[in-house]
Amino acid sequence: MKIVGITACPTGIAHTYITKKKIIEAAKVCGYPCRIETQGSIGAEDELTAQEIAEADVVLLAVDVKITGEERFKGKPVVRCRTEDVMRNTEGFLKKIEATLKNHR
Amino acid sequence: MNWKIIKKHIMTGISFMVPVVVGAGLCQALGVILGGPNVKDAVGSFAYIIYKVGNLGMSTMIIPVICAAISYSIADKPGIAPGLVVGLVSAEIKAGFLGGLVGAFLVGYVVNAMKKYIHLPDSMKGLMPILIIPFFASLICGVLMFTVLGTPIAYFMEAMTQFLANLSTGSKFVYGFVMSAGSAFDFGGPVNKTVSLYTTAMLADGINGPKACHMVACMIPPMGVLIAWGLAKIFRKPIYTNDEKENLKACFPMGVCMITECVIPLAMNDLWRVVLSSVLGGSIAGGLCMVWGVESPVAHGGWFVIPTFTNPLGFVAALVIGSVIMGVALFVLKRRLTPSQEAYGIDYTQADDGEVAEVNITF
Repeated sequence: MKIVGITACPTGIAHTYITKKKIIEAAKVCGYPCRIETQGSIGAEDELTAQEIAEADVVLLAVDVKITGEERFKGKPVVRCRTEDVMRNTEGFLKKIEATLKNHR
Repeated sequence: MNWKIIKKHIMTGISFMVPVVVGAGLCQALGVILGGPNVKDAVGSFAYIIYKVGNLGMSTMIIPVICAAISYSIADKPGIAPGLVVGLVSAEIKAGFLGGLVGAFLVGYVVNAMKKYIHLPDSMKGLMPILIIPFFASLICGVLMFTVLGTPIAYFMEAMTQFLANLSTGSKFVYGFVMSAGSAFDFGGPVNKTVSLYTTAMLADGINGPKACHMVACMIPPMGVLIAWGLAKIFRKPIYTNDEKENLKACFPMGVCMITECVIPLAMNDLWRVVLSSVLGGSIAGGLCMVWGVESPVAHGGWFVIPTFTNPLGFVAALVIGSVIMGVALFVLKRRLTPSQEAYGIDYTQADDGEVAEVNITF
């Protein structure tokens, strides 16, 4: 399962980046290729390319605030949640996403 | 309407407002530092110019910005223009921050309703975003704010301001104590953010005391865990695991910058001891700040903005007292670790054992 995603938290200086780190670490353990864009208070960083989005199996939006550029994910399966939902058990969360995707097919 | 979604809109508003408060608030404070307390009468001096740059932002921009950002969150781009207007109306009629908040939801839902129910022929579609929505949304919401909505809110804000101004010394201490207890409770989590929201709202209405209480309680936890570490060294009582010691390295620079989140990993390992000592130190410092009349004109910034405070020495004293109380309390409360516990962390609870959250996928 290829993952692309965005993290964003209200203050945009701490949880945005902690969440990103946790997702990337957990994805590595589970063997999912993964790219995460952050939308902190500094603006968008590590922006996702159109190709990365096209190749991804799922879009993970772990966001507590409004983000920009959601139209890029039109037609893709999108998981929308709060940063804390991912943080609580990142590996379990990613595996649950994969299971849900498989069920859908 | 769902509370989570409402909270997301408000949080978006806050995230847009905070940089305005910090930028303008610091300029205003710098002007006061350079030009003295009477800087606003020294028209034309350089200090006055700096003061005025900040003062204009502080006095006119904050409420429109949060109002527009919330209505942007609800209704996307078309929400911004009427949001700014309604925010200004709220400031004008003294409904303040709360009025801006209520007005923003009004604007957001009115704009969304217009997008949904007004259907123009294709040739005139272009009129929607450039004429119809900005005009009618501003008209409807602005007039409603002026006439119906604003008055009770303005009355409430006035009562609130009076309440704070009339607090006796004893109740001031209690007020600061409660406020800071919330800030020190969860290291940047929901309770801390709620206090942050409230104190920033007070800031937007020109009441700067509560913000100082919030800031002191955000800056204490990183210093408190470091003081406990120092005590542990001096008295040779190992209280931190090696992993935790790694985390401690980040606490000083982050604490200086008022990033209280750096304490989370330490609190996760030993929740009630860290939270209890943090609340103890933070709330006492907050009470002292209120009693000593410490006020913060800015919303964030850590040690760097202390010189801009009213009674900065009082703030530093409260910060030191609170940090020492927390440090000592944590040192006393924490159990002595055996060498193997120190190395591997015997009651180290992995962050990854929580309940897995609901997964909602839209295909």
